[in-house]
Amino acid sequence: MSSAPPAAPLPAQHAPLNDDFAELATLPVVPARHYGRWLAGALVVVLTAQFLHGLATNPGWDWPTFFDYLLAESVLKAVWLTIQLTFYGTALGFTLGVLLAVMRLSRSPVLRAVAWTYVWAFRSIPLIVQLLFWFNLAYLYRELGLGIPFGPVFWTFETMHLVGPLAAAVIGLALHQAAYAAEIVRGGIIAVDSGQREAAAALGLPKARQLRRIVLPQAMRGILPNAANEIISLFKGTSIVSVMALGELFYQVQVIYGRNGRVVPLLMVATVWYIVLTTVLTVVQHAVERRFARGAEREPTPGPFRRAREALQRPPWAARLARRGQAPPGAAPEAPGTPEARAGGAR
Amino acid sequence: MSGPAPMVEVRGVRKSFGGVEVLHGIDLTVAAGEVTVILGPSGSGKSTLLRAINHLERPDAGLVRVDGALMGLRRVGGRLHELRERAVLRQRARIGFVFQNFHLFPHLTALENVAEAPVGALRRPRARARREAAALLDRVGLGDRLDAYPRQLSGGQQQRVAIARALALSPRVLLFDEPTSALDPELVGEVLTVIRDLARGGTTMLVVTHEMGFAREIADTVVFMDQGRIVEQGPPDAVLDRPRHPRTRAFLAQVR
Ligand SMILES: Nc1ncnc2c1ncn2[C@@H]1O[C@H](COP(=O)(O)OP(=O)(O)OP(=O)(O)O)[C@@H](O)[C@H]1O
Ligand SMILES: [Mg+2]
Repeated sequence: MSSAPPAAPLPAQHAPLNDDFAELATLPVVPARHYGRWLAGALVVVLTAQFLHGLATNPGWDWPTFFDYLLAESVLKAVWLTIQLTFYGTALGFTLGVLLAVMRLSRSPVLRAVAWTYVWAFRSIPLIVQLLFWFNLAYLYRELGLGIPFGPVFWTFETMHLVGPLAAAVIGLALHQAAYAAEIVRGGIIAVDSGQREAAAALGLPKARQLRRIVLPQAMRGILPNAANEIISLFKGTSIVSVMALGELFYQVQVIYGRNGRVVPLLMVATVWYIVLTTVLTVVQHAVERRFARGAEREPTPGPFRRAREALQRPPWAARLARRGQAPPGAAPEAPGTPEARAGGAR
Repeated sequence: MSGPAPMVEVRGVRKSFGGVEVLHGIDLTVAAGEVTVILGPSGSGKSTLLRAINHLERPDAGLVRVDGALMGLRRVGGRLHELRERAVLRQRARIGFVFQNFHLFPHLTALENVAEAPVGALRRPRARARREAAALLDRVGLGDRLDAYPRQLSGGQQQRVAIARALALSPRVLLFDEPTSALDPELVGEVLTVIRDLARGGTTMLVVTHEMGFAREIADTVVFMDQGRIVEQGPPDAVLDRPRHPRTRAFLAQVR
């Protein structure tokens, strides 16, 4: 955004065709003015200010209570549990999801059918129902055993000990997540040009390496935005395990406002934490996406940190000053194969 | 055939797609150190033949032997057993394949593209593979673009990286499927120069191309294919100047 240079007379609307081009080239150009845009901007600023003023002054928000609980130990513990649920749900979910995606793309009809059925089943069952099933697993199977299928059993566990509420929640979230992750990963894989797989096969790369080194890194570009959506939605979706009386963030604030009746400020506590952690996830997503964009563009855009550093070193007003009375833009030599061009590709 | 030992032998290779046979029993022998150029109209099965040689397509019938090794099969007593994918992949590492559309790995630099197969398929130490890859890229005239990503290279440069990538496996045979047909005319020359140097160096090659002048220059044998059959083959001056088969004559009259 540049400030308008001093207005100057525009050339006449219908300049004669034989007008002197050299003279026209010396005339300053006045940028178009967007009055509608300014008006809309001003309106939004006023409304935002009003909203913020309301937030600050309306006693109903009860900010003192909010600040009492924002960093309270019980809340922090609940935040930590939420983070754990998200982490394990994501890690296990996506591991299983990659496996399912590869199974669905395999040549074995059995593996394909199994993966398809899994995705079908776990996308059909509401998460909350599934969670309650896991929570009540001990009711279905009092003991779980490890041994030869249909044969002798070597170890048995009390289901209650093995699948406590936390494990039940993680298993439920991960199994649910895996079904969605499988489809996201599969979508990314099939979007990779089949020539890539073929070139890797022509080079004799082993199958696993074709997938890990050639196909998946390229698939990641398509997978990441969707995966980030899923992770963020899982993160907020962990609030659903409050049905299992597990002390994650949402359950915990419910407990607190059930005790003291301060519903709004405590909901704000949960909201702020969800926002903060989602922001962190978004930043991580951005960084990871940049990592997998290697080679995807002819001229890679510099990262946010590099951009910020450059902006600080060379503020816009300096650029504008420098531009005055300088060579017209585009005059810079830009030969392919110069060291700069090469440096652009280096990691 | 007399002379040097055959490097590539193709016997009675047939291939169908969806019930339509596109290779009707191909016989072809390429001697070690020789360059064979395959010509033919579009759809005649040239690509399919090359892909059958390195088993990117498994032939429905017939045999392919490269440097004495039967491709995709193993003899056990009186039978031939189909090899599993893993073994076929190992065999392929001895055959270099250069695609029409390069198929470089876009997320890897030129150097990483070339070093990938030696590390991944031949288990060479990474440092050595990278050193050798740099030398190969230098040989195809790209010693100063090691760290460039494919999209930052011109078409001709990309194809030269692809050739270096195929060479990195020290293949016994190189297969080229129209290596210049995706290139602007002014970029064709740089790629042909590289292939010409390889031909002079005595690399066994099968080249599908529409560049007639180039075919005449590098070929020891020219093979003309039409509708899934080899119609005519022989030394370039014989096939290109005095074609015997009417189909060859018609084709050559067209491309000229
Ligand atoms: N995967 C496939 N599925 C079905 N048909 C195929 C497949 N691959 C090739 N064909 C058919 O086989 C025939 C031979 O194809 P091929 O690509 O070998 O021809 P070509 O001689 O290389 O032609 P061009 O000069 O255009 O590259 C064509 O009719 C083509 O349509
Ligand atoms: Mg072809």
